Amino acid sequence: MSDYLSTTEKETSEMLKSIGVNSIDELFDDIPRDLKLKKLNLPQGKSQQETMEIMTALSKKNKVYDVILRGAGSYDHYIPSMVKNLASRSEFITAYTPYQAEMSQGILQAIFEYQSMICNLTGMDVSNASVYNGANAAAEAMLMSTDRTRKVFITFDNIRPDTLKVLNTYAHRRGITVCVLPSKEGVCDLKALKEHLDDTSAAVYIEQPNYFGLLEDAEKIGELAHEAKAKFVMGCNPIALAIVKSPAECGADIAVGDAQPLGLPMAFGGPYVGFMACTEKEMRKMPGRIVGETTDHDGNRAYVLTLQAREQHIRREKAFSNICSNQAYCALIASMYMAAMGPSGMEEVANACVSYAHYFADALASLGFALKYNGEFFHEFVTVSTIPAEKILKALDKEGILGGLKLSDNEILWCTTETLTKADIDRAVEVIRRVK
Amino acid sequence: MKLIFEISEQGKRCATLRTPEVNHTKVGKKFARTTKLELPEVSEVDFSRHYTALSRRAFGVDNGFYPLGSCTMKYNPKINEEVAALAGFTRIHPLQPENTVQGALEVMNTLSGYLAEITGMDAVTLQPNAGAHGEYTGLLLIAAYHASRKDFKRTKVIVPDSAHGTNPASAVMAGFEIINVPSDEQKGVDLEELKKVVGDDTAALMLTNPTTLGLFEKNIKQISKIIHDAGGLLYYDGANLNAVMGVVRPGDMGFDVVHLNLHKTFSTPHGGGGPGSGPVGCKSALAQFLPDPRVEKTDKGYKFVCSKKSIGKVASFYGNFGVYVRALTYIITLGAEGIKSAAQHAVLNANYLKANIEDLYPTEKGRHCMHEFVVSMQELKDKTGVSAMDIAKTMIDRGYHPPTMYFPLIIHEALMFEPTETETKQTLDEVITALREIYDEAFKDPEYMKAAPHHAQIGRPDEVKAARQPIVRYKK
Repeated sequence: MSDYLSTTEKETSEMLKSIGVNSIDELFDDIPRDLKLKKLNLPQGKSQQETMEIMTALSKKNKVYDVILRGAGSYDHYIPSMVKNLASRSEFITAYTPYQAEMSQGILQAIFEYQSMICNLTGMDVSNASVYNGANAAAEAMLMSTDRTRKVFITFDNIRPDTLKVLNTYAHRRGITVCVLPSKEGVCDLKALKEHLDDTSAAVYIEQPNYFGLLEDAEKIGELAHEAKAKFVMGCNPIALAIVKSPAECGADIAVGDAQPLGLPMAFGGPYVGFMACTEKEMRKMPGRIVGETTDHDGNRAYVLTLQAREQHIRREKAFSNICSNQAYCALIASMYMAAMGPSGMEEVANACVSYAHYFADALASLGFALKYNGEFFHEFVTVSTIPAEKILKALDKEGILGGLKLSDNEILWCTTETLTKADIDRAVEVIRRVK
Repeated sequence: MKLIFEISEQGKRCATLRTPEVNHTKVGKKFARTTKLELPEVSEVDFSRHYTALSRRAFGVDNGFYPLGSCTMKYNPKINEEVAALAGFTRIHPLQPENTVQGALEVMNTLSGYLAEITGMDAVTLQPNAGAHGEYTGLLLIAAYHASRKDFKRTKVIVPDSAHGTNPASAVMAGFEIINVPSDEQKGVDLEELKKVVGDDTAALMLTNPTTLGLFEKNIKQISKIIHDAGGLLYYDGANLNAVMGVVRPGDMGFDVVHLNLHKTFSTPHGGGGPGSGPVGCKSALAQFLPDPRVEKTDKGYKFVCSKKSIGKVASFYGNFGVYVRALTYIITLGAEGIKSAAQHAVLNANYLKANIEDLYPTEKGRHCMHEFVVSMQELKDKTGVSAMDIAKTMIDRGYHPPTMYFPLIIHEALMFEPTETETKQTLDEVITALREIYDEAFKDPEYMKAAPHHAQIGRPDEVKAARQPIVRYKK
């Protein structure tokens, strides 16, 4: 057993003597005796070596696939070595939220750089230091955009299911209605949107690309939202933004999304990082930490946590959000990823994603797996076939390939990224061809 | 130091990728980005030096003493990081078939079970991403519980004036109104005041125990009775569990719902502000409302289950899984006896530090503290003009991270010290000497201290300017 304590028995008794007690138990005298626990029912502590064996054995009970053709909110991208290596410096890992600016300039500057990169990627004016994940970012945007008279948050049935579930949870106790409009041919139905927008509409939320991988006519949707004086909120895949119109170009008031594709492993769903950016007009309503630039008393450039009057530790029940800890370390990794890739690298990743997706979709089409929707897609797409999805996925699984996500008995949502090669896709196609 | 944008040179690059071997597909004109992507362009050497330089301007537990009260800055074991980086934990997709992620489900199920045992609760969800997120989730459980009993008038949550700011903020997010209740002379909840505000509109009382003053709430049994007799529930803010784990359990104190911070109590790193993890435990009457999905152990292995009465999801997928792996590694390492001894030594270290400075740094008299203690520098400020902030900034000059400042709000000129159990006696002795010298300095050269720090990365920043003329991103 190791308990990571640093004091010897001799030191412990010196300390007790210095305090003026005979035993550690005496320090717990304030606790009513009848409440005290006899013994925790947990296993005995283990040596480091044994713990490593136990945890390694657990990790081996999970199947690691050679080829991954599944996305749906979690994406397998190549993570550059220097991102993994530099991020592992323990100064980054073991620091707290940078409350003491004078000894935390490194963390503060890293967050400032992250905010700047998110602003550049989305085209928005202001980014916060991160929220929990993409779904929570959407929920925070919902709370940010609703007010006393506008309490209907409009979205469509083609956003990620988890986002919708989290929106519903957050809306329920706040008197907010999440209005889910139907999609048409996989994309947002503008006619339905037009009919539903009125003076109770707080905002319209769409995802770009949407859950089915399709690109939305975001500009048009933004225009409709603004005509009704509602806000326009876009949930975006950050890799797509390298080559797809930014939220700012589409007129968004708030841009959110999950930055997991930027250097974070799939890791069974987390930790990921929600990004959140908005126009300057919305800045003082945005939740979460924000780092700002200022000067110290000698005029040197300095970074601090700023606009804190929005936050829970100052405003308590009047705060815009309860968020305290965010996903700072994941945001650091996302910014390292963007710096390592640079603009050209980001575009290359995005282009590889799209190119492989179209190559794969064409190959599947030749096998009789028709695209369910006609719209333009990014790196995910839905196929329909007469062969049961289950059969296809099982056949791929046997070959170490994680197939797409089954959406219904004969529909599959596929995803491709730059981690694949042509040979991987050809092999998957060959396996599917043999399924009958 | 320069921003990464300021070392950027057009045409430089770092990571390179394989050229795709398939035809290039372009995004249609209607959807294509037209504005330039303004990201930094740096070489690999630039990159490595830049982030190394940033890390050298960061201060973590590995750099030195970090007594940030309420934050439990204990040592983050290296084995946790190595385990969490295993391919079997990182290279798994959250929507893989259940039979291919039995190890991940076992991690979640085992950790939930251990946390239920440590807190004395019947069921646990791991899904919330942070402590405040856990509070929010716990309060939704409480709302669902009252609603299920058609008890719709319970709209109020009672919060002591010493509570963390997240408590009232979370309760408002969960749709409740806040009733603040003052502390008594012993800095515990004032029972008479509490009796005045409880009633048939009380949904819950949120309590941290030990309190934010680092003192055990001695009247916990009476408080529990007052709340339960009124039909309310008792919520445990687990921020301070490190003081009492293995010694006394929230469930046995009468709490119905509890959130924990894996990033405080269970050694997972804070990463400069997250990711954390805020699991929520509850008594069986509330278990059916926990977020979907939960992991269940069956004859055929582990599987995800959902409940018709669940409050829904509070985060995407299953929360911060990588943090669970680290926390489980920690609990397996410590075991039953190690968990308890961690709490004991956390309390020992805090009392040792307190006993050796309290003649100069006054705190609650005549009682042992738990894992942390709060001193008031009001008297020193009256005499010398040196404030709690000035002391904190002087500590920076000596290479120590300051304690939490100006919290809880009920103590004037507050400094809250939490040394944690992993701190060495040698360091504590050095800190004691330093704090005693700093106290003397306040009388000798108060002006010098008011201008501290003198040897840090920067002097005191102009926070007013930052808020009035916000510059929150780099612009060319």
